[in-house]
Formats: sequence, structure tokens, C-alpha cells
Amino acid sequence: MRMIPEDLKYTKTHEWVKVEGNKVRMGITYHAQEQLHDIVYVELPEVDTEVSKGDTLGVIESVKAASDFYAPVSGKVVAVNNEVADQPELLNQDPYKNWLVEIEMSNPDELNELLSPEEYKKLLEEES
Amino acid sequence: MKTTALHDVHIEMGAKMTEFAGFHMPLWYKGIVEEHMAVRKSVGVFDVSHMGDILVEGKDATEYLSYILPSDFSKIEVGKATYTAFINHRGILIDDTIVTKLGEDRYLVVPNAATTDLIYHWMFSLSGGYDLSLQNISSEFSSIAVQGPNAEKVLQEIVEEDLSKLGFFHAANVTLKGIKIKENILSGDKAYLSRTGYTGEDGFEFVVPNENIVELWKKVLEVGEKYGIEPCGLGARDTLRLEKGFLLSGQDFHPHEEPRTPLEAGISWVIDWDHEFLSKDVLLKIKEEKKYELFRGIILKERGIPRHGFLIYKDGEKIGHITSGTMSPVLKVGIGLGYVKRPYIKVGTEVLVEIRGRKVKAEISKPRMVK
Repeated sequence: MRMIPEDLKYTKTHEWVKVEGNKVRMGITYHAQEQLHDIVYVELPEVDTEVSKGDTLGVIESVKAASDFYAPVSGKVVAVNNEVADQPELLNQDPYKNWLVEIEMSNPDELNELLSPEEYKKLLEEES
Repeated sequence: MKTTALHDVHIEMGAKMTEFAGFHMPLWYKGIVEEHMAVRKSVGVFDVSHMGDILVEGKDATEYLSYILPSDFSKIEVGKATYTAFINHRGILIDDTIVTKLGEDRYLVVPNAATTDLIYHWMFSLSGGYDLSLQNISSEFSSIAVQGPNAEKVLQEIVEEDLSKLGFFHAANVTLKGIKIKENILSGDKAYLSRTGYTGEDGFEFVVPNENIVELWKKVLEVGEKYGIEPCGLGARDTLRLEKGFLLSGQDFHPHEEPRTPLEAGISWVIDWDHEFLSKDVLLKIKEEKKYELFRGIILKERGIPRHGFLIYKDGEKIGHITSGTMSPVLKVGIGLGYVKRPYIKVGTEVLVEIRGRKVKAEISKPRMVK
């Protein structure tokens, strides 16, 4: 379970979510960065952008391809981690420490739709 | 999905696999960037068995190939490999290829994986009246490419013959130390070896019967170990060729989706104008009008990666589009290849590339972006 921390929630599209009061921090999972490999570019949303759950939040590019990442919950973007835009390889080095976007939730009930670590583990097993 | 004779070896070695041209092929082993740099600095080995192999034999072989291709093989010596291209009656590229003159009346044509069947039928349809035979031997033979500045040193430990005497774009049948090559139609009881590649580095490509390829692959990795050899996937193959501005058939040109003449694609040098060949008149007219767009390199000046289909702008006007792009492991910036209208083809022209709605500064370059 080293690759799926117990204190986080997850999405089917391989984002992790950490809840802090009425805000969440999100990033991509170990599995996501492992699949992408060689991450070389990260495009983050503008602060203050209003997003709905499932909207494209930004783009992560490996040498080979570009992949979108998605808003795990609805709300307003209140912070982005520019450090990963400057050093995209940080996502390969530690995808859980290096978060991408902080969202102020407009509908905290949506948290119930996220996957538990156990459910996410099951998803990975099904996909492999 | 089709597989190569090395498929199980790739799986055993832990390669990340992908589908390419109907084949299940390695995308990378350790990572695209690491494999890319191994080839630039030392040596890497690629499974390129998905590429086609067509034998052309007979007394009219030279005349025939010199008509269906823009190269004149009557002027080419035995043992020489020639980069050239298949073009249709409208002068449009169908595929690029390497044709090697094995003997006075004997040639090996190597088309791309996705186009091999098409090219075989195309060649067949144009062969009427010529005294020759065509054989698609692709499924019986496997190929590996050993590429990089240390490729010669690695292979010299396996090959009996002196490789310093095998010139760039020349081929020979060679004897391998400790590997008994199965008797075959291409090269008898020897291994076919050419000093060719798709990486822009010095390098070699073997073609051997399927039965011999696993042993050869393992041997190359074993003797290459002291040079830090890396097994490489199609990911590095793509980034390596992109930095050097080499065309990718089906992506940088395609008879329907990206119809381009060899003039536009920047390979007019493959054309020998001093002989008659298919669609010469059409190409001559296009050449004289000189209105065609040109294949160029595009180097980003800001953060971002150009990808296939992205548009290129100058002063608010669309002047071209990207056909291939990546992050250059050597230059560490986004680079692309694509077609640009005249007069914006000049090296150093400042342009903008539209990346998901954002306009990013870039500069026009020769296709070869890494020297």
C-alpha cells in the first residue's frame, strides 16, 4: 500500500485528493506518473477559475503524449503549485508531496463520490 | 495484433508495450529520455522487425526500380543503400524507404511497417512487362538496429569482418562469432548488415532469419554492457529521429491525410532529375512554380510542447501546422516538425504555435534541430 497513502481519497482518473476543511488539494497518483513516465510539462489552471467536478483542470505531458487531469470536486481554484510547472520531473519523484491544484469546494457532498484507498487499489487491480 | 520474434523477450525484460502499425512493440524499457541519451552518447539497440523486407530480383530490376522510384539505380554501385521514396502518379509520397543494391540485378527494399503490404501491392501493380520477381519476405526475417557513437565498437566484438571498412549507407553479408545463421534467401548462411539507421547517429541494422534474432539480441546486449548499452523502444526511436528532422511515414506525410510531394517534405535530394521516373512531369512543374509549402523544424522559445495537428501563426495569419512534436531530450525545449508556407520558411523566422488556445513563441529552423 506504499503507493496508495491511507489518508487520501482517489478518483477513477488517477488523481489523489486531500481534504483540508472546505478545501482540497489534488495531485496525480503514483500509478498515473508511472504510466506517463518522463513527465516534462505541466499546465496548471488560473487561480480563481470556477470548475465543475470532472472538468479538465490542466495537462500533464510526458515525452510521448499529453494527458488531461480533472477536477475531483466542484469549486474555485484558490492555489496552484507553480513549483511543478517549473520542475515537472517532481511529479515522477514524489507525486504525493508535489500537489497540483487547491480547490475551495462548492459542494462538499461530492467527496462521498470519491474512492477510498481500498477502492482505488481494487481499481488498479482491475485495470492491470 | 502482430508480434515480432523478439516479443516474448521484450515482455520478459519488462518493456512497457504499445501498439504501433498493428504490432505489439516496446514503447520503452527504462524510459524514453534515458534511452534517447544512451543512443546520443554511447549505444542503444532497437527491435525494428516490424519494418518490411521486399526482395526484387531479375534482369529488369534496375530499370524497374529506377522508374517506380525517383532514384536512378543504374548509377548506384553494388553494396550501396539508398534512402528514397515511393510516390504516386500525382507526385504524392506513399512511403519513404531504403533500397539496397545487393547485386547487379538484386535489391532489398525496406518499407515502413504500416505500409509494407500497400507497397508490395503497389510494386506488383507496376511490375507488368518487366522481367523480375518480387518477394515479400517480411514475416520470415527480423531486424535490430544498433545505434550510437559506440555501435561499431560493440558490433566489432560480434562480427568477424572489419567494420571500419563498411561505409555509411553501405551493406554487407557478415559472419557472426558464435552465432550460426540459418541458411536463408537474403544472405545465404551469413547475417545481412547495413550501416544505416533512423537516429542520426552512426549505427547499423541487421536483418537475419527469425530463428536467429533472440540469440543476436542477447549477444548485442551482453557485449554492449561495458559501453552502457540500453535496449530502446519506439518512444526513443521517435524522439531521436525528430531531433534530426527525419520524416515519419504516415505522420509527417500520408497519401490521404497529409498528401505531400518529396519537394514539400524536404527530400527533393532523393530525386535524380536526369532520368525518367513515375510522375517526373508533375514534380518538375511543382518544382518550377516553387509555391509549395516546406517541411521545417519549429523550436519553442517558451514552455510547451508542440504536437501533431497544432497550428502555426505569423501576424495573426495561419501559416502552417505541426505534424510531429516532442520535448527534445537534448535541447530540453519543445520541438516540432511541420509544414510552413512561403515566405515564412526562412530559418530564424519568429512564429507562434497555438497550444490548446494559448499562443506560444517559436522559431523556424531547419528540420535537423540537433546537430
